[in-house]
This record gives sequence, structure tokens and C-alpha cells, in this order.
Amino acid sequence: MLVMDQLTDVLIAISHPTRRAIIGHLSQGPARFLDVAKPFDTALNAVTKHLKLLERAGLIERRKQGREVYISLRGEPLREVAGWLHEYERFWNERLDQFEQYFRDKKKKEKKQ
Amino acid sequence: MKNSAKTLEFKFERTIPASPGEVFDGWLNPKIPGNPWNMAEKLLLNPKVDGFFYWHIKGISHYGRFTEMERAARMQHTWVSPNTLGQESMVTLTFKKQGEDTLLTLVHSDLPDHELARSHEKGWAYFLDLFPEQFGNNPRKKK
Repeated sequence: MLVMDQLTDVLIAISHPTRRAIIGHLSQGPARFLDVAKPFDTALNAVTKHLKLLERAGLIERRKQGREVYISLRGEPLREVAGWLHEYERFWNERLDQFEQYFRDKKKKEKKQ
Repeated sequence: MKNSAKTLEFKFERTIPASPGEVFDGWLNPKIPGNPWNMAEKLLLNPKVDGFFYWHIKGISHYGRFTEMERAARMQHTWVSPNTLGQESMVTLTFKKQGEDTLLTLVHSDLPDHELARSHEKGWAYFLDLFPEQFGNNPRKKK
């Protein structure tokens, strides 16, 4: 579960258009640094800073494969943030599922008798 | 989910295989799984207009006041908890007969939009667009 500081890191990470574009790019699969940087009209140094922020938020990870370093997206923090955002959505869905199931079970029992 | 500038609203629907009266009564019976009062560690429940409830579970207390109570048709009460930042939100339930079943609709409205979320509004908008595509959001029965 994300603690508040991590949650803030994730929110900050996805608040910048360039970082969102990087997430969008990586959602299609792992990529090398230069491939990630290519679409942006900014210095490589700036892209590196964006990647560091994404990495700190746990949204990406780097993996060395031979001579290349591949960057890939990690979905878990985004899922956790969604859970935090929709706390009441989750709460009521779980409750209503149980409530509905109770009546379905009751009806089945009544039919058997 | 409806998202205004200051509050959030969630709406849910379920088709329950029982009459509106049974479903209405079931919603107020703490012994029946799924209603908010079930599994309470401490519960005070006075389900009539201007009656109050106190519901304590897992260290969190919830309070509210019933504002509408029309058996087998409609029920409304306020809902206050740490998750509403101490503000009054509103829970409205309607019970509509659908053949032998009941369409139960629950709307939780006036939930305060979190300042943190507001400050990252653009990020959320993007994220919420991206998330269903990438991670298979399941809207289930939420309408």
C-alpha cells in the first residue's frame, strides 16, 4: 500500500506533460533511453531528470540487457493511486456485492426447500 | 463518477432478487452482510427521520443523520467520517420494483474532493484516461 509520501511522489510524477508522455511511450513496452528521449524537443539532461522523478515514484525501472539499459513501466503505483482515489467506490462496490449475494443465496435456499 | 469542482459523486446499481420491502428492511438489518451496519464493532442505529447512527469499524468512526425514510422506496442519510474530511456527505438509496426483483440504486454525493487531487487535476485527467487502457479498469456494475 502506498504511504502518503509515495502517493505524493506518484501524483507529482504524473502531473507533468513530458512525464505523462514518457509513461504513454513506456506503456507500449520497455525502451532504451535514447528511444524514450527521441520524441522530445528537450535536452537529454532534462529527460534524465524526468526519468529520475518517475523512478523515485516507482513508476519505472531500469534493467541492463547486454550493453543496453532498458526502461520499463511499473503499473502497481498507478493501481494503488486509483484505489486511493476511489476509496468509497471500492467500499460501496464490496458492500453491495455482499448484500446482493446474501439475497441470491437466500433465494437458492428457498427454492431447494 | 461525477466530479464537480468541489465534490465527488458515486452512483451504484444492483438488481436484488427480492421485493423492495425485503431489500429496504435488509439494508437496515445489521445482521445482513453488505449493508454499512454489518460487522460494526460498535453500532448505534436509529433509522427514522432525524434519527442518528454511529458506526465504528477498524478504528474509524462514522456518523450520520437520517433525512428521508420511505419504506420500500427511498432512504437518505448524511455520512461523516475521517474520509469525508469531517464534512457531511449524503447517501441516497432508492428501491424500484423490477418484476420479481428490486433495482437498488445508491448514490454517495457531496464527497469532498481532496486538495491533493485538485492540485494535480491535469495529472488525474490524463491518468484516468490512460489507466483503463493499460490496466483493464473494470467498471463492474457502476453506472
